[in-house]
Amino acid sequence: MRESQVAARTLRGSATAIAFFLIVVPILIVVVVAFSPNEYFEFPPAGFSWRWFVEFFRLANMRGAFALSVELALLAATLATVFGTLGALYLARRRGTVAALLQSLFLAPLVFPTIILGVALLLMYKTIGMPVFPGLLLAHCIVGLPYAFRTALASAQTLDPALEEAGQSLGAGPLRTLFLLTLPLIWQGVLSGWLFAFIVSFGELNTALFLTGPGLTTLPIEIFSYLQFQGSQLVIAAASTLQIALIVILVATIERVVGLGRIIRAR
Amino acid sequence: MRTPWASVLLVPPLAMILLFFVAPVLYLFWVSLHEASSSELYGAALTVQNYVGVLGDSFYLAIIRRTLGVAAVILGLCVLIGYPVAYFVALQPPRRRMLVLLLLLFPLMVSNVVRAYGWVAILGRRGVLNTSLGSLGLIDGPLDLLYTIPAVVVGLMTILLPYMVISIANTLATLDRSYEEAAQALGASPFRTFLHVTLPLSTPGVASGTLLVLLLTLSAYVTITLLGGPRSKLLVSMIYDGVTAFQWPHAAALAFILLALALALTALILSVLRPGRVQGTGR
Repeated sequence: MRESQVAARTLRGSATAIAFFLIVVPILIVVVVAFSPNEYFEFPPAGFSWRWFVEFFRLANMRGAFALSVELALLAATLATVFGTLGALYLARRRGTVAALLQSLFLAPLVFPTIILGVALLLMYKTIGMPVFPGLLLAHCIVGLPYAFRTALASAQTLDPALEEAGQSLGAGPLRTLFLLTLPLIWQGVLSGWLFAFIVSFGELNTALFLTGPGLTTLPIEIFSYLQFQGSQLVIAAASTLQIALIVILVATIERVVGLGRIIRAR
Repeated sequence: MRTPWASVLLVPPLAMILLFFVAPVLYLFWVSLHEASSSELYGAALTVQNYVGVLGDSFYLAIIRRTLGVAAVILGLCVLIGYPVAYFVALQPPRRRMLVLLLLLFPLMVSNVVRAYGWVAILGRRGVLNTSLGSLGLIDGPLDLLYTIPAVVVGLMTILLPYMVISIANTLATLDRSYEEAAQALGASPFRTFLHVTLPLSTPGVASGTLLVLLLTLSAYVTITLLGGPRSKLLVSMIYDGVTAFQWPHAAALAFILLALALALTALILSVLRPGRVQGTGR
């Protein structure tokens, strides 16, 4: 092997090692410290204990934030999946300018700076007098929509149109065709879209920052305000670890149900 | 679905995106063109003063310059570190490549506030870095690493790096290897092959990764606040401060200045990288 090739390989290998170190270590430290028995931050911790998780569930605001985040993510992911799948079914076989425009519109929240969406929604909600919970839910739904739409679209585009035609020529109405034929064929894409929308909603910051209200705070925002106003307490590490744990469970579910490949392509 | 009633499918998602995405953003723009008001959300008279005021204020111009500088350094570092990593990933056999990509994807699913907290735990006065340097006797007192611009850069860069790696790796993995083989068969060195064949062919991945990292950098309020503190504010922090001070037209104008900045930088990146020429649109 020539010298330049060895150099190139060393460069790739060391860049990868550095990148993974920088990406993984901050997350790892948070998880390790969450099991600390100490009163204050110390790394490595002096032992092992569940005390900060107990403390987390003892604090009413933390418990409430966790419950609200799960509830919001469940509802927002479901709404986004229903809406995204409808849009995907409509657009799956359409070409042309209008179809392309609609597709970019459904994907737009993915690249639009969400902080601006947050400000815009808060202003509109203030003007029309929208209550906190439905306002927050709709925002999370908009943020999750592109993920649900894109995975459903990818699945719907692989469908053979002859199947639907066969269903209809055999006398099935449009609704029967949808529920007995189309949805059973694309459910994997729809489900992975739902899981993605759930994950995005569960970690959402930029719109929730503006739209959460007194007594109605999501877990990421609760963690943020704790860090900002009460300093780095270890209960935050426990809260963060619970956030991570839920994501791990979801990713494992996706891998079990639809396989790894689909997750990568869903991005 | 091609049946006559198919348009019914489109109504709910289209209505939702128009009502809760397009309409509020247009309304925000409308508000940015109005005077401030002490009793209402915004005043009655139309004005461009909210924009003129910001763009003529040296304080805001300095913030914008700082924002551009931070974004440029983050993008540069992400490409420099992300490209070799993506190359490494793309060279793996398919099964292992999936696994590595999943390892990169997982951190992206963890909320940014958690990942920023990890950096607070590392860089804080009693953080991992200061205590280990202290116990090694390398420093006398704790260093002020947190609440600085470099802390923001390092934190955001590592938080967003997986986007860059995944984008480039996806392009490199689908690249037709026969181009590289042809270049080498014609006598080009591996380095020349990389520079003149592989690198230009991978610009779509670099472009999409760069745009993602850029847009997420510009609106990363929480990370910037936790790592930069009150003295290292960027444009996005000004928008938040404007909202909390109920200066609606002012905050709205700042939001659209941020959006204009994002669009201008997107156009700049696309015109430099020209990813379109790879897909055969001949630009």
